[in-house]
Amino acid sequence: MKEAVHANRVQLDYAAVLGVCSTIGMLFIAAGYLIYLSGFLPSAAPASEVAMHWHLKASEFHKAVQVPSGWNWVTDLGRGDVLSYASINYLALVTVICLSWIVPSFIREKDRIYTVMTILQVAVLLFAAAGIVSGGH
Amino acid sequence: MSTTARERIFKTLIPAFLAGVLFIIPAAATAAEQVQQGAQLAWWVWMIILFVFTFMLGIIAVIAGVGGGVLFVPIVSSFFPFHIDFVRGAGLLVALSGALSAGSPLLRKGLANLKLALSMALIGSMSSIVGAMVGLAMPEKMVQLLLGLTIVFISFVMYRSKNSAYPNIENPDALSKALHIYGVYYDEHLKKDIDWQIHRTPTGLLLFIVIGFMAGMFGLGAGFANVPVFNLVLGAPLRVSVATSVFVLSINDTAAAWVYLHKGAVLPLIAVPSIAGMMLGTKIGAKLLTKVHTSVVRRAVIALLAVAGLRALLKSFGI
Repeated sequence: MKEAVHANRVQLDYAAVLGVCSTIGMLFIAAGYLIYLSGFLPSAAPASEVAMHWHLKASEFHKAVQVPSGWNWVTDLGRGDVLSYASINYLALVTVICLSWIVPSFIREKDRIYTVMTILQVAVLLFAAAGIVSGGH
Repeated sequence: MSTTARERIFKTLIPAFLAGVLFIIPAAATAAEQVQQGAQLAWWVWMIILFVFTFMLGIIAVIAGVGGGVLFVPIVSSFFPFHIDFVRGAGLLVALSGALSAGSPLLRKGLANLKLALSMALIGSMSSIVGAMVGLAMPEKMVQLLLGLTIVFISFVMYRSKNSAYPNIENPDALSKALHIYGVYYDEHLKKDIDWQIHRTPTGLLLFIVIGFMAGMFGLGAGFANVPVFNLVLGAPLRVSVATSVFVLSINDTAAAWVYLHKGAVLPLIAVPSIAGMMLGTKIGAKLLTKVHTSVVRRAVIALLAVAGLRALLKSFGI
């Protein structure tokens, strides 16, 4: 029997946007890290300083070293370590982008249950991304 | 060189190489630990060790059929000088990046099922956020203790569990019918379409609350738990379970990753080489997959996991 594709339209929409976003994410992460380590841009804290304190608990580490966390990097994109951190934030946004992308597809399919469920899922992820519960910056 | 001769060489060399990798990992880790206690290494040497280490983990993880995240956190937190907060943050991103790169082809082929994943991930991602917050608020020794117990338990479950490739579900439950969770996929092994449906959906939802919590708390990719729940509890075919687990993992780990990002528990210096090493390793592992005896590697990895779990337990007691 010849292989048939059984994925529905919404699923294919998700796959398409995920393929593009994850490829961009991997390139962004590689480029950000190379810029960070090469010293092409100045860093908020040099790698050697980070290494001196990476045995500390995250909360204590941030008292000792000024590196980005949460969204506090947004106004400081001209730094190598900030760029590398931004690339990781992008990776954590990929699922939100993909889920938001398929909401109109579910609406077109008149699938009320999954329209609501996907909107709720996006809301949960945005809630986490906003740092409301985790004391974000 | 003839094909048979080449196959013979492959069959001899690859298991020898993998055996070497499995021996090198604990040896390299112990060496790393000795260096950690002694002279300070330059940060870039640590980065190279971490990259090589995660590369090797990636190879054996895919051959053994386990997620990279579940190996990464206990082993790296036991043997590297990084605080467990940063290891868990990196572990989540390792699992997330793997899931994001694997997700697209699995969805396109119809192996991962969007509706099944969304139904379980909504509740799982909420508990994942809570798990991450609880995990980051705990003292380090408590995290090591619970991680050790969890990893030893996981290795026991992996040793004992037997998957069911094609469960036959005659009576789907009312909730799965209401949520339209069923599907059909083309099975490359049987060369035919397989129809499937599920049952015990409410039980599955409860179990995904627990799985999401654990994934967030310990920074583990939770494939080790997602797959048995999809396959053995809900009754989805094994291939659908594995593929849909990847998709659920991408949602749950995203939710937890944001908590780690906001709590400052993600350092690019540690996370990026881990992601790169694991992704390259899994690509090589996927190429070797058809050429090695996976059950032997799987047993060795289970043993490695058990050792890492015991090591975390000992660390929690200051030993």
